[in-house]
Order: sequence, then structure tokens, then C-alpha cells
Amino acid sequence: MLKNHIKSALRNLQRYQYVSLINILGLTVGITCCLLILAFVLDELNYDRFHKNAQNIYRVERTFLNPDNKTISLELGAVAPPFAQLLQNDFKEIKSITSILPGGEATLQYNNKIFNERDFYFTDENLFNVFDVTLLKGNPLTALKEPYSIMLTEESAKKYFGDTDPINKLIKLNQQFTCKVTGVYQALPSNSHWHPELMMSFSTLRDSSIYGAEQLRTNWGNNSFYDYILLPENYNPKNLEAQFPAFIDRHVPDDANKASKWTSISLKKLTDIHLRSHKDSELEENGDIKRVYVFSIIGLLILIIACINYMNLATARSSLRAKEIGVRKVAGASKSELVAQFLSESVLICCFATLLSCVLTWLVLPWLNGIAGKSLTINNLLQAKIILPAIILPFIIGILSGIYPALFLSSFKPVKVLKGLIKTGERTLSMRKVLVVFQFAVSIILIISTVIVFQQLSYIQNKSLGFEKDRVLVISENAGLNNSYQSFKNDLLSNTAIKNVARSSRIPSGRLLDANGSQISNGNTLAPTKADIKYVTADEDFIPAYSVKIKAGRNFKGTDGSDTSSFILNESAVRALGLPSNESAIGKQFKYGDRTGQITGVINDFNFESLHQRILPLVLLNSRVRNDYNRISVKITGDPQTAISHIQNTWKKHLPEVPFEYNFLDDRFSDLYKSEKQQQTIFSLFACIAILIACLGLFGLSAFTITQRIKEIGIRKVLGASVVGIVQLLSIDFLLLVGIAALIAFPITWYAMKNWLSDFAYRIDIAWWVFLAASAIALIIAFATISFQAVKAAIANPVKSLRTE
Amino acid sequence: MIALKNIFKWYNVGGNRNFILKDINLDIQQGEFISIMGPSGSGKSTLLNIIGMLDEASEGTYIFQDQEVFRLKEKQRSQLYKDYIGFVFQAYHLIDELTVYENIETPLIYKDMKSSERKAIVADILDRFGIVGKKDLFPNQLSGGQQQLVGIARALASKPKLILADEPTGNLNSKQGEEIMELFKQLNKEDGITIIQVTHSEKNAAYGSRIINLLDGRIDTNTTL
Repeated sequence: MLKNHIKSALRNLQRYQYVSLINILGLTVGITCCLLILAFVLDELNYDRFHKNAQNIYRVERTFLNPDNKTISLELGAVAPPFAQLLQNDFKEIKSITSILPGGEATLQYNNKIFNERDFYFTDENLFNVFDVTLLKGNPLTALKEPYSIMLTEESAKKYFGDTDPINKLIKLNQQFTCKVTGVYQALPSNSHWHPELMMSFSTLRDSSIYGAEQLRTNWGNNSFYDYILLPENYNPKNLEAQFPAFIDRHVPDDANKASKWTSISLKKLTDIHLRSHKDSELEENGDIKRVYVFSIIGLLILIIACINYMNLATARSSLRAKEIGVRKVAGASKSELVAQFLSESVLICCFATLLSCVLTWLVLPWLNGIAGKSLTINNLLQAKIILPAIILPFIIGILSGIYPALFLSSFKPVKVLKGLIKTGERTLSMRKVLVVFQFAVSIILIISTVIVFQQLSYIQNKSLGFEKDRVLVISENAGLNNSYQSFKNDLLSNTAIKNVARSSRIPSGRLLDANGSQISNGNTLAPTKADIKYVTADEDFIPAYSVKIKAGRNFKGTDGSDTSSFILNESAVRALGLPSNESAIGKQFKYGDRTGQITGVINDFNFESLHQRILPLVLLNSRVRNDYNRISVKITGDPQTAISHIQNTWKKHLPEVPFEYNFLDDRFSDLYKSEKQQQTIFSLFACIAILIACLGLFGLSAFTITQRIKEIGIRKVLGASVVGIVQLLSIDFLLLVGIAALIAFPITWYAMKNWLSDFAYRIDIAWWVFLAASAIALIIAFATISFQAVKAAIANPVKSLRTE
Repeated sequence: MIALKNIFKWYNVGGNRNFILKDINLDIQQGEFISIMGPSGSGKSTLLNIIGMLDEASEGTYIFQDQEVFRLKEKQRSQLYKDYIGFVFQAYHLIDELTVYENIETPLIYKDMKSSERKAIVADILDRFGIVGKKDLFPNQLSGGQQQLVGIARALASKPKLILADEPTGNLNSKQGEEIMELFKQLNKEDGITIIQVTHSEKNAAYGSRIINLLDGRIDTNTTL
């Protein structure tokens, strides 16, 4: 029986070739999208699950609250250094705790090989108890024990040591410290939330020239230590979290021993970090569960659109199949046998489509990696969670899209169809209309979304930020420059292509996370303020280099960044302090942290952070220690190539041992919107695919409708109808459907995009014309699709169609 | 074999009953060859379809092989139909996508017959009708007469006791028509198959053993030849 079903299905595919082509093509594209999205989603959901303890590992996170209203002022993925030891002491349920400190940028040198390393971390011995890090060489018990021990990934080891055994080799860190290689480990897989290239023993930090043992015990303010704890199997982390406020009060220094009023710690499950954590500090940029949802929904919608094509074409073609159904029924076929036959037909089509899409998926995977920033390989696809759906999918889709046509077709009364009494098509017309409306609604939603995402991104890129981000080149400050900075700066400025050279702790496009409490003069005394003001250390060149405007007062004094009693506020800070005007702020006594001085200048508000964030109150201050500046910003005026080579030469002169690396500030700004740009690419891609599949269906559908009306067209032409009139007659029904689809799409898109835009502090207003334009595009595409057939029918000689009776 | 009692068939057209068949009473014995005649619209095909269980009467009783057809469940009726009845159409109604062989095989598939059994039966029929050489051709590669031959072969494949033919020669030329009628006569005489045909042609009707004339939904005359 099955063999017979398949045989007749194959014959039908062959006979109605172009319908089969439309069906298979549409489904192939739909299934390919689905498989790709499945691969993407699975990869996102599997982050950090490769650790065998993944379900029991939690990250300790710290939150700061505004003491007055308990609102959150800062949420960090990390804690201060004393926490790890205290947590381990106080809570017996913690099986193990490991601390990770990002080491920033480091320069490593072995013989003549020097590289800058970004993914450099301090890690302690417990790392191996908590995480699954595979040592290829070295002993996990001792590798991170001694100070100045360093472990490298296999790849990094090769970079420095080639094929020789790296163990016990000495390698130089930042030209100062000699480290011993104690281990080579397998790099963590791409779906890990951090990717250390180098790990240095945590005990190294006890050296006071690096961090200091005392600091590790007492520095409650440096919240950059990422602590991970291992809890017992099936232990409820809430039990532990409930004890944290008391723990905080016990240990965190506070005048009233009530530190829990302004700070708290909490636990985040390791497997939730990648998708559900958006702290102000993270080890690496995370993904977003919302994006996973949006992509899943889009993938599913595209698959449904492709299924709808099948349903519509199958029911539309019912008139062609009616006779066969009648004959089969007369030959004794029961309804269930016919349903089985039609289902095997749709399943067969889906099998073809799935096979094709497996090939297509394999072909476009590298390209998807490019736009989604993933490194999925064929191995990611060859896992049970993808293969299984790929095998089951054709059956599900086949049955899903085949069941309606099957039930519909098999319900024909043989007497009637054999006599040609049934006007097929009439009955299912409303159902088909609903499905077409659905297809186009989805397409229009995607088109409008694409346009709005595009508008928002171009708005962001062109919005005035309150400073000049162009032609600013950023290099990392190096400890080797500490004593020779002035001559380095002068050497740079000796070329006319260089306009300013400025140092600062942070640069625009970064985050503003450093903050202290402030006090402002009230009569003769200083009164604490409630203002939450962030700070950036910057020297006197910062303001001119970034062309920030001084609204009142003056810039820092001096030429070496030693004007440490001056504060420069931005206008938001002036407002936050409750001062009536910019001018009134000048000369006011001000205390920020433990530093007292005067407000000497007010600068305009500028977007230091990405446009996702509002402009925050900010104070600029000179650093009291030279190495508190991390970045050097160079404003160039002339030809960038000359400027770069000049900077490079100057760098080589002062720091011959350190590789020169730089980037441009505007590139860093565009990097801030990488994930949005990704979304834009993917949205526009899916919008195109959706409309393509929908039009494919419309093409087939209109062809059939027109074939069915061919006699009517002939009669109308004989009666004197014009070609235009007939094209109009044939198109209007479909165009009406697209119109209805647009009306349905509008509110949904409006709501969804309003939501999306709310992630930006600075955003466009949704313009009504976008909706009209998108609908117009959909209408034009639909009309082009239909008119291809309609015009053909309209200019045909009516004598022919009337004679074929 | 067949007993129709007080069969009525009507359609509701705008509140009025439009009668197709009115009070038909008819007994048919096994082995008869009956021709139903009458002008267009007299209800010939409807009657044939009711006998063939493709259609239901609005009122009345239909007994087929001692079973009251209208009281049977769908499944039982379908079984009865599959076991006893074969249909032949004026427009042949072969499945275009299937070869001659496969067309003949179709009713056997629906009877859940084993593949080997089907092969034997189809081979036998092909042989008997002299169309072995055409078994792999598709319907559109055959002439009208040949198509109807396949149509009859298909109807016979399930070894029915009753063949219902709706103007089987209506689309054929006279020579082909005669051959088909000869075939029916032979099936009736040698195999004892009961045949009921609807026809417009006096000549074809004369092949049968009884002629029933319908007029406006009633039996006008019932003549045994």
C-alpha cells in the first residue's frame, strides 16, 4: 500500500512539475531557515553546559543600592577580593570557590616573540575543582600554586614556543616579571562565557608590586573579581542567598555595621550567565535570551509560511485531482486510505525539501557564522538534537501541511466529482484567503521591522554625541611610559598631523562605572549630596582632544595632569547637585571620595557611553597617581596614514619592546551596536525570504485561479473588456488580501518595535509613513507576481479559451 | 440479488422538492443483463448510482444480497461494495498518472490483497483482454476503445458479481461500441455476472435480457426480451 502511495505521489510530482518546484523550493528555504536557527538557538542555550558541574556552579555578584530609595545604582558580575575567603569560611555548604581576575592587557615575551594578550586572567588552584579545564601538559594540582606560574592554551603555546615543550620555560610579562610556564590547557569551547588564552596563578597577586596580599584582604571597593562557587547536588541556592545580608553586615566595613543597606550579593547560575545576565560588568559580552526568542519565532513563522504555500496550492489544485479521487473511491478506496495517500505525498515532498535544505544549510553555514558572529561547524549540526528534528521534521511538516488538503480532498463525493458537478475551489476560498493574509502579514511585519531597525541604527550613527569622535586614535597606556610620558607626548606633537594627546582612565564608548560619594559646600560646611556622580580621571588635554565644550569656568591647569584639586562637572552633574546654573557651580567647594577641592569648570553633556544609556552626571578629575590613566587618545588632523606612522615610530622609540596596537574611536562606537547591526542583517534577510516564499505561493495560487477563470476571461473579452480591465479584475482580490494583511501587521509591529526601541535611551519616533511604505512594497511585489499571470491571461485570444470547452 | 422498494430521490430547490426518482420498485435476479433507458433527466444515472451505493435515496428500502443497504454502517457498506460491485463509466475515468497495469491493480490494493496475489489476477485479466502488450502504457497513449477496455478490465479485477455501466459506449465509435457490448454479453453469459447498463441506444439495449424505461423519475415500462 505504502509503495503504491509513494509511486502515485512521485508521478504527481512529475506531472505537475512547476507546482512541485514551488512547493519544494518554498519548503526547502523554510526548513533551511529553521535548521540554521535551530543550530544557532541550541548553541546559545548550551553555553557553559560542557562543565560537568554546570548545574551546581554559581557566580557571586554584587549590587550597589542608592541608600535613600533602594534603587539599584550599579550591578556587577563580580565582587571585591575579600569575599572569596570569607564566603568559604562562613558557609560550609560551599564545596569550592574560585576567583578569576581579568588581567587586562598584557605583553608577553619569549626570546624575540612579543605579543599583546587580551584574554589574560589570574586564576586560583580551585579552578580545576569548579570548572572542567583540561590540562594537556602539566599537573593540575600544582600548575596554579606558585606565584608567577602561567598556563597557556595549546594555540598560544604554539605561538610562543613552536613545537618545543613549553613546560618550565620562562616567559616575560610586561617587561618586568619573569613567569614560568606550568601548564598547557585545551582552550575553552566557543560556547563558554569566557575564553582565557593565558591564566596566571592567583598567588602572584600577593606580590605588592602587582596587587598585594593586604589589598586582597581589605580592598572592598575593587569589585572586579569574578567568584564562582560549587554547591552540592540539588542544593537550593536560595538557602544560601538568604544568609547573605547578615554576611554582608558581618564583614563589609560600614559605620553602623549595616552595609546590607547599600550593597548586596547574589548568585547567578553559571548556565544563565550567557543569556540572562546583563550586568554592568561581565567577563565578555553576553548573548540575550530575547534574541533567542525572536529568532525562534521568526524561524517558525517562515516555516509556517512555507507550509501554507503547500496547503494553498494543494487545495487550489483540488479540481485537477478531483477525478482521480472519484475514481479511487469508486475503486473501493476508503476515506482514510485517501488521507494516507495525500499525506504520503506531502511527506514525500517534505523529505525532498529536507534533504535539499540539509545540503543548503551546510553550504550557507559559514555565511551565517559571518553575520551572527558564531563559529558553528558541521559538527554543531551533526548532533542528535539537530539530526533528530531533521529526520522527524518532514513528517511533522508533511502531516501539518498535508492534513487539511488531505481531509478536504478525500471528502469529495465521487458521483459529483465524476460528473463535474463540484465547483472546487469555492469552498476552500475563504480558508485560502486567511492563509494568504497570514503570510503577507508576517512579511509586512518583517519589512517594517527591518526599516525601523535601519532607521534607528542610522539615527544612532549620525546623532550628535556632544563631542567629536572622528579622527581620534586610541592606544593603551603602558607602564613603560610612566616616567617618560611628557617626552612621548612632545614627540607625538612634533608632527603637525597630531593635534592633541590626552590621557584618561576611560574613553568614550566605554562604560561609566567608577563612582564615589560627594559633598558640596553649604554655607561654610560641606554637606553630603544624594547625587550619583560617576568619575573619569583625565588630564588637561582630554577636553580639547574630544572638542568637549566648556560651558563655564576653565579647564584643568598645568601641563602635566597634576591639577588634583580641581573638579570639572558636566551639566547633568550640576543639575544632580541641585545647583541653579553652570556659573553658580564655579568656585564651589566640593568633596568627591576622599578628595577635596573646587569646582573649576562645567562642560556640556556628552554621550560618553553608548546611546543605550542616558547621559549620567560625570566629574572629570586629574589622577593623583600617574598610572591611573589607562588610555591615550590622539586627535589627528592631517592625513591619517602619516599620523599613524608617526605615532608608530614614536611608540617604537619609547617602547621598542612593546607591540604597537591602536584603534579608532568611531570603530569602537560602531562596535557598540554590533548586535543591533546583526539583527538588522538577519531581519532584512528573513524579511526577503518571507516575502519570497509568500510570493512563490501567490504566484502558484494566482496561476490556478486564473486558469479556473479562463472561460470567464474569454467571455468578458468577447463582450469588450480591455486588457487593463481584466488584469484589474484578476488582481484586485489578491491585492485586497495584502491590504488586510497590512492592517493586521500594523499594530503588532508597532507594539514589537516600540519594545525594541525601549532598549535605547535615545531613539527615533516610529513614523507612520514607514508602515505605508512597507505595505506599498508588499503590494507592489504582490502585484508584480500576480500580473505576470494576469496579463498573460488577459492578452490571450479569447477564441482559444472558449473553444476548449 | 437486488430489491428496490419505494425508492424516492429528491433535491430541495428553494423550498420545493425537485423529484429525480419517484416510487421506484424493482427486483433484479443474479445473472440478469439489464438496460436502463429513458430521455435525458429521467433519472437513469441516479438510479444506477443508488444501486451502486455511490448515492443514497431520500426514501425507500434497498436490499442487496439480503442486506438492507441504507441501514448498514459506512464500513460494512464499503465492504459490500468492494466485494460485489464494479463500475464502468462513459468517460472511462482511468487515473492518468497510473499505467494500464496499475489502473487495473488499484481496486485490488484497496481490497488489501497481497502483492503476489494481485500480480496473478492482473496478469490473468491482461491476458484475457489481450492487452498484455499495453500494460506499461499510460491512459493518454490509448484509443478510446482501448481505454474503455481497461476500464472494464479494472471493474472486473475485483471479481464482482455485479457490473454497473453508465453509457459505456457513449464516447466510442460504433465498431468499438459493438466490441464492448459483445464483451459484456460474454461476461454475462459465460461468467454469470449481473450487468446493469444505462444506455441511449436501442441497439445496445438489445444485448440485454430486460429493458427498463424511465420517464420523469418513474418506471414507464419494464420489458423482458
